[in-house]
Amino acid sequence: MEDYTKYRLKTREELAQALSGTDHIFVISCNKCFKEFDTVEEPELAEFEKIAAEEGKTITGSARVDFLCNKTQTAKTLSDIVPEGTESIFVVSCGLGIQTIADMQTECSESKPIPVYSATDSLNYTGHHGMALTDRACDACAQCYLNVTGGICPIVDCSKSLVNGQCGGAKNGKCEVDPNKDCAWEKIYQRLKKQGRLEEFLNQPVQMRDYSKTSFKFVHDYVTSIRENRLDGYYGGVHPLERKEYTEQIALQKFPEPETVVIPLSMHAGAPATPVVAVGDTVKVGQKIGESAGFISSPVHSSVSGTVIAIEDRGHATRGTCPAVVIRSDGKNTLDESVKPHKSLEELTPEEIIDIVKEAGIVGMGGAGFPTSVKLKPAKPVDTILLNGCECEPYLTADHRVMLEFADDIVFGLRAIVKTVGAQKGLIVIEDNKPDAIEVMKAKVADYDNLDVVVAKTKYPQGAEKMLIKRVMKRQVPSGGLPADVGCVVSNISTTKAISDAIQKGMPLIERVVSVTGERLKNPGNYIVKIGTNTKDLIDYCGGVVGDGEITYKAGGPMMGFVLNDLNVPIMKGSNGIICVDTDHTVEQPCIKCGRCMDVCPMELKPLYFAKYADEENWQGMKDQHVMDCLECRCCEYICSSKIPLVTKIKAGKAAVRGMK
Amino acid sequence: MLITELKSKETILSLVDGKKAFIINCHGCREVYFPLEEAAQLQEELYAGGSVTGILTTDYICNPDNLKVRLESHKAEIEAADVVLVFSCGVGVQTVASYLEDRKVCACCDTSRLPGFQGVTPLEYDCGQCGECYLNLTGGICPITACSKSLVNGQCGGSKNGKCEVDPNMDCGWERIYRRLEKIGRLDALKCPTQIRNFATDQEVAK
Amino acid sequence: MKITELFERGEFVVTAEVGPPKGCHIENLLEEAKTYLSGITAVNVTDNQSSVMRLGSLATCKALKDEGLTPIFQITCRDRNRIALQSDLLSAAMLGIENVLLLTGDHTKLGDHPQAKPVFDLDSVSLIHTAKLLESGVDLGGNQLVGEPPKFAKGAVVSPCSDSVDAQLAKMERKVAAGADYFQTQAVYEPEKFIKFMEKAKQFGKPVQLGIVIPKSAGMAKYMNDNVAGIHVPQEMLDELRADKEKTKAGITGVEIAARIIKECRPYCQGVHIMALGWESKVPALLEQAGIA
Repeated sequence: MEDYTKYRLKTREELAQALSGTDHIFVISCNKCFKEFDTVEEPELAEFEKIAAEEGKTITGSARVDFLCNKTQTAKTLSDIVPEGTESIFVVSCGLGIQTIADMQTECSESKPIPVYSATDSLNYTGHHGMALTDRACDACAQCYLNVTGGICPIVDCSKSLVNGQCGGAKNGKCEVDPNKDCAWEKIYQRLKKQGRLEEFLNQPVQMRDYSKTSFKFVHDYVTSIRENRLDGYYGGVHPLERKEYTEQIALQKFPEPETVVIPLSMHAGAPATPVVAVGDTVKVGQKIGESAGFISSPVHSSVSGTVIAIEDRGHATRGTCPAVVIRSDGKNTLDESVKPHKSLEELTPEEIIDIVKEAGIVGMGGAGFPTSVKLKPAKPVDTILLNGCECEPYLTADHRVMLEFADDIVFGLRAIVKTVGAQKGLIVIEDNKPDAIEVMKAKVADYDNLDVVVAKTKYPQGAEKMLIKRVMKRQVPSGGLPADVGCVVSNISTTKAISDAIQKGMPLIERVVSVTGERLKNPGNYIVKIGTNTKDLIDYCGGVVGDGEITYKAGGPMMGFVLNDLNVPIMKGSNGIICVDTDHTVEQPCIKCGRCMDVCPMELKPLYFAKYADEENWQGMKDQHVMDCLECRCCEYICSSKIPLVTKIKAGKAAVRGMK
Repeated sequence: MLITELKSKETILSLVDGKKAFIINCHGCREVYFPLEEAAQLQEELYAGGSVTGILTTDYICNPDNLKVRLESHKAEIEAADVVLVFSCGVGVQTVASYLEDRKVCACCDTSRLPGFQGVTPLEYDCGQCGECYLNLTGGICPITACSKSLVNGQCGGSKNGKCEVDPNMDCGWERIYRRLEKIGRLDALKCPTQIRNFATDQEVAK
Repeated sequence: MKITELFERGEFVVTAEVGPPKGCHIENLLEEAKTYLSGITAVNVTDNQSSVMRLGSLATCKALKDEGLTPIFQITCRDRNRIALQSDLLSAAMLGIENVLLLTGDHTKLGDHPQAKPVFDLDSVSLIHTAKLLESGVDLGGNQLVGEPPKFAKGAVVSPCSDSVDAQLAKMERKVAAGADYFQTQAVYEPEKFIKFMEKAKQFGKPVQLGIVIPKSAGMAKYMNDNVAGIHVPQEMLDELRADKEKTKAGITGVEIAARIIKECRPYCQGVHIMALGWESKVPALLEQAGIA
């Protein structure tokens, strides 16, 4: 691994000069980047402190910061850390970190800012490296010559950056500037010769460099706009390829009646349901087959009419195996007597609605499966209901189609939630990549003063409750807290539709919309699928898979979904998608401290430490780095250039931390 | 971490020149800049024309170990191609070229520098990595990147309304520096000796 | 003859400037210079002005010198690194050209070769420092020069009506510290601003020549207001230029305005530098009206 550390201490004389005229100094050091990740002291800080002491200076304190240039995180770390009486701040960092601190001092201080000095010089490397720390570099000349040179860079590799061939200075194949360096044009010549491309090279027109193409300004503006995009609404997040085009225009279809359904007794957070039917029993559509087994639990219902043929452990998409009720359908879909419409929304009391929702087995259908009835009884006053129409996971379009095709039901469901919780308003939040849904929902809420549609700029993981609340309400859910702590309840689109069905039709949660999609699936689509339907049947019905190479199957989206090693698992209440995608062939590499995980973490955590500490089984370290705040949104793993399975390590850490209590 | 722009369509088509191509897209730094749509459109055209043996869209191809694993899963498609087109920064193209040393590997993008990208990206600050930090003289604003001419001794005569002569949308770096020094009461920093840059500080990375 | 000697004698020094052509024939330039500029102290020769490629400044200086005029060699940092800059300064000295004006230069992107590599290895301040070093017999690399070292009158520029006049004054101070002997200014149209500037600049104790561009038309004045750094032609002057188009076209209005500015500023400066921009023929009339000739 190359060490691309970007700075070194200034000379003793320069430092003595910079230190003159100031007596009380505070020192801030960056922990560096683009090098092997270890947590030992960086030597420059100690060296500088020694020099400062020898110069007779008083050090009022010092701080070591990861990625000093990350302003949001640095500001958090350094707030109120500089003690009274400090006359100047010395920064041991590259130029970016120094500028960050200088700016923070100028911006924050109401009185006279403390002068910020650089104790270091940034190193000047020829060329820029990629994300992997190899010795290959690119000078970013804005006019790539690699096509002329067989893929060897003449700008970086030739001391004179010649673009038309070798100069007369090469001796024994070495450069005139550095006899240890191979002559780039010698290498280029040999490679082209090997590829039989010498004639092609000789016939190239004269190459002339265009220096007008590179400009700090252009890049600065570009980077600023990217930065704004990244920080828009809340810190961090990523913009993965959406890939929603496979299914977003495909109308919902009813999936054909399954022959048998396997209904897990646990499709929710909390205790599994207790079965209330026995093998051999005849059941009808909507009949309760499992009873809620505690405060945080939920009943389950039959999605077909037919005969219970087994109650046993079966494959489960997220838990390996789980007790399930297996029912053979009689194909008749006879409705259970309990399935009948309730009173009108106006007549129902909040308590009655909560009861209906609980009895209908409604749980959060975005994946987490938290019982909705519990959410509807918040412990604190709630003013706003946020309906989560973001569907920020790539590929998935289930909620999108539900909004387009069941808009009235969604509005009804939202009104029911607003009434139950006693909120002042209900907001449907939709990302701007779904303009048709925005239009439809806006038209539907126009008649209600307390309902509105909020359009949010697309960014993952916007659908996470905490991000959604930050974006829309600009409120920060406290660490370990719930949306109700800041006066909000967040509900999923499909869940809201299920509430409507439960009230208006009396139908419990027995079916849901699933996006079956991915570049390797023959006929992607959005289906209304009965709970308990076999995943493999779904994929087969969509024409199976196509193309060469390995396929990864996931229940849910590519970011937070679960890898399916066995397709013989049932669709559940939280199954918003089944995706069939190309497997990315990679191997985990050592962390290079690129800092991108920290840059994208919406919870403002430092995921690189989780990977390191998990490997060292340093669970206390993980706890200290707030691992329990992690949402497992997978942004860090998505962005990780070393392909470190961060979420797996984080889950291990969370389990260990829970065990510590 | 660099910014890429697509080469002209004519250039890319001339690289294929009616022969068979294997295409590699690198989306690793896509969070920063990759001409996604234009590249996809062009590749679709090539694909429809029957000149593409396969497309590998992945990330961080500058990582040689992972690149190797990925290329191996497309071995047959690469062997069936006359040219390998790489849509990535120059580092990525060089990494592919060094792995497929006997094949014609071509760059389909030009790479512009993202000055001073170090660590967390992207940033609102730029660092020219000049190797002789001037921030102590400028109140913490980098004159190498904030001034079009990278002047280190003060403002040139080209500043108008506080803007740069090269680009009227760009603030004059030395105007900013002067205001900053004024604000923090350090105008005396301008009385330092004449600064002369040292261009001999390059740390050679390429071997 | 170094123009610094004239400043020392307390003379009001008048200089003008010529721009070499895009081509290798300078008969016309020499003819005009001889006809209209032979009465003044010295003639600046611009160095690829506005980053537009032209005949070289040094060669043109030599040709003017051969015609008996005193040239001022303008040299910018845009197109040469420190090796070429020092080499050209030595060449000038060898040719007997003692007056130099040391500038940073416009950016390459503003000219007719925007693809060119902008050099800016040194800038105006470090170039002045370098010229001074050469005068001491040492080059920038610390090496001794062979024989008697060169001697220059080292001119520099400053923009007194700039909207960032503070930053300009700071830069002027740095130029003085680096060894600048005298200053020529950007074109001045606001005498009150210039006078205010001079009140601050006089602490440096270096002679300053007032910069003058004869306004050719209201259109030109407006163009400068919109595009040229450090220049602002006030509304009254624009109106004056618009009032009688024929008179303006004939150059009479412009010369009147320029002469007025010179008269008003004369007590506060040590000379005037006229950038005629093709109107070299008006220079004698201007000097006469301003009461200098």
